[in-house]
Amino acid sequence: MVANATNAHDFFESKIRPTFVAHCYECHGGDEADIQGGLRLDDPKAMRRGGDTGPIIKPGDVDGSALLAALRYEDLKMPPEGKLPEHVIRDFEIWIASGAVDPRTGSKMGEKKPTQFNWEDIRSQWAFQSPSRHVAPRTKSPDWCTNTMDAFVLKKLEASGISPNVATDRSTFIRRLSFDLRGLPPSPTEVAEYLKDNRPDSKRRLVDAFLASPQHAEKWSRLWLDVARYAEDQAHKVGSNNSLTYPNAYYYRDWVINAIANDLPYDQFIRLQLAADLIVPEDKQEHIALGFLGLGPKYYRRNSPEVMADEWEDRVDTVSRGLLGLTVACARCHDHKYDPIPTADYYALAGVFASTEMFNRPLNQAVAKQDKGQAKKPQEAYHLVRDGKPLDLNVMIRGDATKKGELVPRRFLTALSEEPIFFKNGSGRSDLADAITAKSNPLTARVLVNRVWEQLFGHALVGTPSNFGALGEQPTHPDLLDDLAVRFMNHGWSWKWLQREMVLSSTYGQSSHIDPTKLALDPENQLLSRMPRRRLSVEAYRDAILSVTGQLNSTIGGRSIQPDQADEGRRTLYSEISRMNLNPMLARFDYPDPNAHSATRFETTTPLQKLFLLNSEFMVFQANALATRLRHYGGSDRSKIEHAYQLLFSRKADALEVSLAEQFMSHEKTKEDTRENADAWAQYAQALLISNEMFMVD
Amino acid sequence: MQLQRSRRDLLRRAATGFGTIGLCGALQSASGWTTDSDEKSIPRMVHHPARAKRVIFLFMNGAPSHVDTFDPKPMLATHEGESPSEDIAGKNRAAGYMPSPFKFTAHGDSGVVMSDLLPNLSKHADDLCVIRSMHTDVPNHEPGLLLMQSGHQQPTRPSMGSWLSYGLGTENENLPAFVALCPGLPVVGPQLWSSAFLPGQHQGMEVNTTHTEVENLISNIRHPMLNSVAQRKQLELVQALNAHHMDSRPGDAALETHIRSMELAFQMQSEASEVFDLSLESKQTRESYGDSEYGRSCLLGRRLLERGVRVVQVFYVSKGQKQPWDTHKNNNESHRTLCADADRGTAALLHDLKNRGMLDDTLVIWGGEFGRTPYAQVDKSKDKKKAGRDHHHTGFSMFLAGGGIRGGFTHGSTDDFGMHAVEDRVHVHDLHATVLHQMGINHKKLTFRYSGRDYRLTDVHGRVVHNLIA
Repeated sequence: MVANATNAHDFFESKIRPTFVAHCYECHGGDEADIQGGLRLDDPKAMRRGGDTGPIIKPGDVDGSALLAALRYEDLKMPPEGKLPEHVIRDFEIWIASGAVDPRTGSKMGEKKPTQFNWEDIRSQWAFQSPSRHVAPRTKSPDWCTNTMDAFVLKKLEASGISPNVATDRSTFIRRLSFDLRGLPPSPTEVAEYLKDNRPDSKRRLVDAFLASPQHAEKWSRLWLDVARYAEDQAHKVGSNNSLTYPNAYYYRDWVINAIANDLPYDQFIRLQLAADLIVPEDKQEHIALGFLGLGPKYYRRNSPEVMADEWEDRVDTVSRGLLGLTVACARCHDHKYDPIPTADYYALAGVFASTEMFNRPLNQAVAKQDKGQAKKPQEAYHLVRDGKPLDLNVMIRGDATKKGELVPRRFLTALSEEPIFFKNGSGRSDLADAITAKSNPLTARVLVNRVWEQLFGHALVGTPSNFGALGEQPTHPDLLDDLAVRFMNHGWSWKWLQREMVLSSTYGQSSHIDPTKLALDPENQLLSRMPRRRLSVEAYRDAILSVTGQLNSTIGGRSIQPDQADEGRRTLYSEISRMNLNPMLARFDYPDPNAHSATRFETTTPLQKLFLLNSEFMVFQANALATRLRHYGGSDRSKIEHAYQLLFSRKADALEVSLAEQFMSHEKTKEDTRENADAWAQYAQALLISNEMFMVD
Repeated sequence: MQLQRSRRDLLRRAATGFGTIGLCGALQSASGWTTDSDEKSIPRMVHHPARAKRVIFLFMNGAPSHVDTFDPKPMLATHEGESPSEDIAGKNRAAGYMPSPFKFTAHGDSGVVMSDLLPNLSKHADDLCVIRSMHTDVPNHEPGLLLMQSGHQQPTRPSMGSWLSYGLGTENENLPAFVALCPGLPVVGPQLWSSAFLPGQHQGMEVNTTHTEVENLISNIRHPMLNSVAQRKQLELVQALNAHHMDSRPGDAALETHIRSMELAFQMQSEASEVFDLSLESKQTRESYGDSEYGRSCLLGRRLLERGVRVVQVFYVSKGQKQPWDTHKNNNESHRTLCADADRGTAALLHDLKNRGMLDDTLVIWGGEFGRTPYAQVDKSKDKKKAGRDHHHTGFSMFLAGGGIRGGFTHGSTDDFGMHAVEDRVHVHDLHATVLHQMGINHKKLTFRYSGRDYRLTDVHGRVVHNLIA
């Protein structure tokens, strides 16, 4: 025992503080960013307050002090690099038994960390205010504007003294529109017909025709499948055990295609994917929409609490970033550092998924079943979810499944609820769907409008499409985004209305010419004084190749394929998507990792991509197919070359291009052998297929 | 025409070669297009002077036994057959403490101890830094592998090699910054060299070392029909078309990037053919590494490092055996075979690196996802002759060499039975922090903003273990 105050001070200074300095401060002192477990030992008040799990010292109570348990390596093992010598631990016992006197002064810390959110202020921020209609601004050149959205764009351009580009020519336009709405190049016939269509509404007719084509739904499904981190297996497999895989995931993919083809209103689209079983219990076919949740990753050692907590994080993350543009999963371990999302909000949502179970619904009556009506084999099941036992979660302190904090009822995010919106029905998925798709929800419509904008204009209005929070980018055109979001909802949440509005605008119709003066004023083209030249996604590039070589198989839906198989003619959308071993062609060309929601795609240009173009069996096969197609077209070499340009680039070949081709061919032609000549055409065909123009859209 | 490029555009498109310019390079050069010579000035993202320029991680899939290699425990003999006093997992198959039949000796001037399973490696004792106090979070392969390779148990994070590629780029733009050498796929698979949310060029290039011919080692490295003269001619046509296309589209950096990347790919075909052609090594050299998948991987690894590849990951996997070191049965016999092979290749690699003066700035890491139990594991027959060892994560050994690491040194210890790391414990996160430190990177500062927060290899963990550093 330490006898008196002076001795107690000395004891702390000679026995306790040096140990703190030598073994603890590295992780429990110094910069706030370095503090582990929320515990600071280099400040007396902060030490008294304790860490995330509460106070660590109970003066006088050695066995009740978490600090001692950690030093004794009973629970937490501290310091991590090794247990301290017994005599040092003994010193700590003496110190605590004698009242844990801490003579240090000069605290910079409060007793309690203030982490209150000011909800009134928060709800008045742009992202948390419901969008409203805006009057289209007056501009100096209203004639330029085709529709409402153009006025918002033009107003900003005029304010910066930049004029928009001229409209692009019609053959460039139809190529651009065809890729954007169908993910495929226009056929030479379509181009020819459009060029000679003099009717005043020819553009609208073209847009409507493309929107009505089945290829439109295929193209636009892809956007959603990125959001939904669609995949058909798990990142791991134990031995040959396939029980956690999703061999019939394609039913969900096809449901999405079908929904978009029918222009299913976006609010309903979301509601069915979150809670079809609760909203339309009798309509079993619609339950396939639940694949949005039911195809989520299942991790190794399922059912252990910390692994299930990781799975719930995936669901919270996909729903919150995907549908709301909020990074709620950041709040799993601590209150969100930048956005108004307390940890309790995270667990309020995670509870919904803790109350939901993965469900392999038998494909039909004949299928062998196991416990609780699930199909025995995943090959014979739809991969859905269903309600489990309703369960509210305790906050897990620092995300640690073993450290329970307060119990949180399932409810919607505080920042998006004037009054608490509790989830009462079963798991709460239908309540969650209602809250997300309420017209008053400030984010849902904006987030989707912004994603569609990014697809069509290259850059999103909010540059971080899945993060509308404080760390996200500010909208370049907030009024435009809001106005579109409201009109989108008023037009029945119609995808096709939204796309039509955008592609019929003068903004979309501009040429992609880069003007050095404008570039200097607006290097990122944020003001949209031109259409950006864009690179095709791996899907559109591969599909374009199939289309021009005549290998495209236009069957819609069905089982998945391997896109790099040389003679596979189905669209890239139908590729098998593996979390464990993503097809190398997809992986190489910037397909996002399907282990998590993808906000947007990276665009990289690497030699490995080019090696695929130069040497892969797929490219060589397709080049041969194109050569054969040109040979069958017949006529002179020149007419074949010209036909190739129409097929591939929707335009005439110019003199230089023809002469480059003829030179290449004539060199080869000195060899009499016809086989050599066929090879020359195949080489030429490959050169065209891998040239920049093939995958860049003006 | 010289046009200003936007920073965002540049960041998006900077990756002409294999992420040559790294993160900082992209930021520094944002005001203008870098020339070739600019891009070679490396490293790019150093927070402090680097001691190592490159890393090779020799990964023993399945987890080697520490008490049979680097951590002698005589108490296992005196207490043979006794059950550990504590509660252990897999109890019904456990058969009490099992002494190692292998003889341990101190080697070199430093006296680093290893078993007689490692005769060649013992000659490099004075270069090795053996860590006997490693520990990790779980005794299961999948999460253990992921934690060791990416710092996280779930498959959603970038691998260490991808982080280094992102931070430092490559020294040779004709080759990727990060190469994963593996015969077939290990358990977990490509997630182990995944770039996850980092841009795709930071993904490890997968090389299937089951094969020996370059065409089979790297996909698409050769045209199936054209020879290089014919392909050059075809490429000239492509580039002429590209140049013509670009002429009418001035000011678009992306077009130029594609042109350059195409040229690099063509060059890479010959460069890669040379790198991966082991017949260019003398017979004697090849024999010193051993003609096994692992031996060839070590030799390939050395050739890649010599040519500026930043990170080489060698997975010890053999045909049809995704985790050979997982010796649940016949631990002793298996370790004899496995160590003979691993010892030879690893020692030859160290020898070559040292001879070339490369060991000073090449960090070599050797180890598995965890260790093996000091007690035996038996099957239903309870036959002790066939006894194996189970997974063990609370104490195991790894070693480091080169790259500014303290050679001839043994760090930390496990308890008397090799059960738990007790002294100077080193967690996997600490190892990662230390590796990054040697590469000139502060592990807390190499971050990537994704999904609303800044991610890093060590998450919120990791301490640099200064004691390991020379």
